[in-house]
Amino acid sequence: MRFSIHNLNERLQLILIGAVVGVGGGLASVALNRSLEWGAEFLHPYRHHWYSFLLPACGAALSTLFLFHVARDVGGHGVPEVIYSVTRRGGLLRLRSSFSRLVSCCLTIASGGSAGPESPVVISGASVASNIASFFRLRDRQRVVLVGGGAAAAIASIFNAPVAGIAFSLEAILGEWTPTNLITIGVASAVGTEVSRLLQGNQIPFEGEPFIISDMDLVGCLGLAVFTCFASVFLVRLLRYVREVSSKTISIFWIRAACGGLLVGLIGLLLPSVMGEGYGAIRNCIGYTYGPGLVLAGLVVVGKIVATCLTIGTGGMGGLFAPCLVIGSFTGLFYQRLLVHLAPGIHWAGEPYFALLGMAGVISSVLQAPMTGIFLITEITGGYQVLVSVVLVSVISVTLSHIFEPFSVYHQELVAHGELLRPRTDRRVLSELRITELLEHNYHVVHPEMRLREFVELLKRNEYHFFPVVDSKTGKYLGLIHFDDIRSYLFDTNLYDSLLVEELMDPTVPTVSLDDELPEVLEIFEQGHDSTLPVVHDGRLLGLISKATILDHYRRELIVEEEV
Amino acid sequence: MRNELLHVFRNTPFGRETLMHSVYFCKETGTSLRVYIPKFRQFLMYFEHEVVTVDLDRAFLRDPGTAKEHAEAIIREGGLTPYFIEPKGFTASTLPDLPVDYRYMTCPRTISNLSTKIGLGYIGPRVRNIIRNASFPVFIPTSVYKEWKSVVVFFGGSQNAIKALRYGIEISTVSGFPLLLFTQGEGKHRSYYEEGIQKAGLLDSLKTLNYKWLFFEKGDFRINLYEVPHNSLVVVGAYGHGAVREVLFGSKMEEIQTVLPNSMLIVGPNCAPVLG
Repeated sequence: MRFSIHNLNERLQLILIGAVVGVGGGLASVALNRSLEWGAEFLHPYRHHWYSFLLPACGAALSTLFLFHVARDVGGHGVPEVIYSVTRRGGLLRLRSSFSRLVSCCLTIASGGSAGPESPVVISGASVASNIASFFRLRDRQRVVLVGGGAAAAIASIFNAPVAGIAFSLEAILGEWTPTNLITIGVASAVGTEVSRLLQGNQIPFEGEPFIISDMDLVGCLGLAVFTCFASVFLVRLLRYVREVSSKTISIFWIRAACGGLLVGLIGLLLPSVMGEGYGAIRNCIGYTYGPGLVLAGLVVVGKIVATCLTIGTGGMGGLFAPCLVIGSFTGLFYQRLLVHLAPGIHWAGEPYFALLGMAGVISSVLQAPMTGIFLITEITGGYQVLVSVVLVSVISVTLSHIFEPFSVYHQELVAHGELLRPRTDRRVLSELRITELLEHNYHVVHPEMRLREFVELLKRNEYHFFPVVDSKTGKYLGLIHFDDIRSYLFDTNLYDSLLVEELMDPTVPTVSLDDELPEVLEIFEQGHDSTLPVVHDGRLLGLISKATILDHYRRELIVEEEV
Repeated sequence: MRNELLHVFRNTPFGRETLMHSVYFCKETGTSLRVYIPKFRQFLMYFEHEVVTVDLDRAFLRDPGTAKEHAEAIIREGGLTPYFIEPKGFTASTLPDLPVDYRYMTCPRTISNLSTKIGLGYIGPRVRNIIRNASFPVFIPTSVYKEWKSVVVFFGGSQNAIKALRYGIEISTVSGFPLLLFTQGEGKHRSYYEEGIQKAGLLDSLKTLNYKWLFFEKGDFRINLYEVPHNSLVVVGAYGHGAVREVLFGSKMEEIQTVLPNSMLIVGPNCAPVLG
C-alpha cells in the first residue's frame, strides 16, 4: 500500500490521502455531534431542578479531570497547537489529540458550559490527518497540507459548510493560498461534508426567510460593524483577563474549571440563552421567535461574552466559533431593535438579516479571518442574497478590531512566545535553516602563546581573514582575530617578537550557540556590525557563521519554497 | 547531530544513580552531558515521523528548588561540566518540546509510569516509543550505579545489528574497553555472520580492536547469556524486524532485557548510523 502511494504523482497522492483525511475529519465531527445530542438528552431531566446551576461546574470539573488524568493531554482548545505544529513541527500532532478534546468538550458543553464544539473537532481532524500522513511516511510539507485538510474537513462537516472549511484552513491554520493547498484541502473538505451529510442529513443549520434589503440597510451595516468590532474586542480581552486571573488565583485546575462553571450556571439562571453552544438561541434570532426586548438582547450579548470567558478562560474545554455566532446574532438583533427605536420611520430589513451580519462580523473579527466569516455565514444560513452586506460588515469589523487586537484569538498565544511564523515571512524561512548547516570551516585556529612573527608567517601562507584563538591545553575558545583589525601591527617589525596572539585577539566578539535560532543570530550581527561570528558550544569552537552564508541559504530556501 | 547525551533528571536517590550512570557513560565515550530538569509533567519530542509525549511521574517534579543543585554536584563530582537544557519551543504553555538531535539519551526502564517498575523484563511504553522513533540510541542503565568495563554487542546479522555493532566499535575505541560480540548461531555458520560484518566494512575496525566473539552454535539463548560479563555495557538493536515478526517470533532484545541486569544501549530502527 505504502509502495503504491509513493509511486503516484505527488498531487495525486495528496488528493487520495486528502479524501481519507476528509473521512476522518467528518467522522470526528459526526461523533461529537451525536455525543452532544446524547449528552443534552441525558441531562435534560435534571435541568428543571433547583440544582441545575451546578451542572456546568460538574461538567467543567469532569472535563478537565478527564483531559489531564485520563487522556493525559494539556488544556486549551487546541487550535494554537495545530498552528504551532504546522509552522514549527512539520504538522506532527499527537494521536491522543484526536479524541481527548472531543470527550472533554462533550462533557463541558452538554453540561451547559458556554463553548462551541468546533475548535476541539479541528484539532481532532488535524491530528487524524497528521497521523495518517505519518503512517504513509509523507514529507513534512505534505503532512502540513493534510493537517490543513483535516481541519477543513472538521469545520466543513460540523457546519455542513465546505467552502467555510477551506477558507478557515487556508486563512487561520496554514496562512497561505497555494494551488496544492487548495486542491488537497478542497478534497478533504468536500469528503468531510459528504460524510456528515450521509450520516446526519443535508441540512442548512440556520435557514431563514428571504429578506428585502434596501439601500438604508446597507448604510445601517456600517454601524453594525462597529458594534461587532467592540463585541469581539471585549470578548478577546475578557478571555485573556479571565485566563490570567484564574490561573493565578486558583492553582488546582479542576477546581478552577468548576468555579468557572458555577458562575456560568448562576448566569444561566437569569439568562438561559447563554448556556451550552447556543444554536437554539441563534435559531430564535433568525426565526423571529426571540421575544424579549432591546435591553434583554443587549444583556444576552454581555452575558454570553462573560459566560464564554468564564467557561473557556478557567479551563473548560470548547471553542469560540459557536459562542461568536451567538454573540454576533444577538448583537445584530440588538442593533436592529435599536435602529427601529431610533428611526422608526425607516423600513429596516428584519431582525434575521442583522443577526446574520452580526454573526459574520464577530466571527471574522475574533478569528481575524474575514473570508471564513463570509463563507461560513452564507453557507450555514443559505443566505447568498446577503453576501454583499456580509462582506461589508466582515471587512469593516475586521479592519476596526485589528486596530485594538492585531492578532487573532488563535495566534495570540503563539505571538506571546514568538512562535507565530507565517508562511513566506523571513522568520519562517530562517526557521527552516539550522546553524549546523551553515557552519564554515575556512579558518585557521591559532593559540594565545603564538608570537606575532609566527602569525605573520601564517598569514603569508593562507588567505583566511578570520583566526579563532583556542587554548592549546583545554581546547576552549578564547577570542577571534580579524585580519583587518590587526593590519597596523603587521608593518611594525619591532613588535614581531614582543606581541602575542593573546594580545591581538578580540575576546569580546559575540559568539553564537547551536541552540540559537537564526533570527536571533541576525540580531547579534546587527548589534555588533560584524560580518562573521564564531559558533561556540560548551566553550568549544565548532566553526564560523557569516552573514553572506545565511543570505545564500536563505535564497536557496526561498527557491525551494517557490518550487514546492 | 550533537555529540551530547540527553538526560532527564529525577531529583530522587534513584534519579541520582541514573545520573551517575550518565556521567560515567559520557566520560567513557567522550560525550557532553545535557541535563533537562523538568518543570512540567510532560514534554514532547518531535521525531521525523512521530511526536512522542513523555509523561513524567511525580518524582521528576519533586523538590525543584534542590534539583539543579543536586544535579550539578553529581556532574562536577564526576569531572564533567554541567549544562542544562531550557526548552525554547512550547507546543502549549505547559508542554515544552525538547530537541532530538542528540547522540544518546538516557532513560531508566520507565520514565512515564511509577518508578517502582524498574525490575528486569519491564521497559515502559514511552521508553519503547522513544527507542522506536529516535535517531539516537537509548541508554538504559541499571537501577543501581555500576561501572562497566567492557562492551558486549549482540550481533544477529540484521541491519539493526550492524548499526549496533558500529556503536559498539565506536564506544570500545573511545573508551578503550574490550569489545565482545555475542551471537547465537541459530543454525547458521560463523562465516555467514563474518560475511555480513565484512560487507558492512567493519571487519578491519573489529580486528584492530582485538575483539572476542562469544559464538554459540548450540544451547539455550537464555542460558548462554550467563557468559556475558556482569560489568559490561550491552549494545543491542531493537525493533528491526517489524511488529508482526516480533509478535510471532518474539524479540531478542526482549529476552536480553528480561535476563541480563547489565546497563544497555538500545539501537532502534530509526537510529542514525552517523558516527565519528
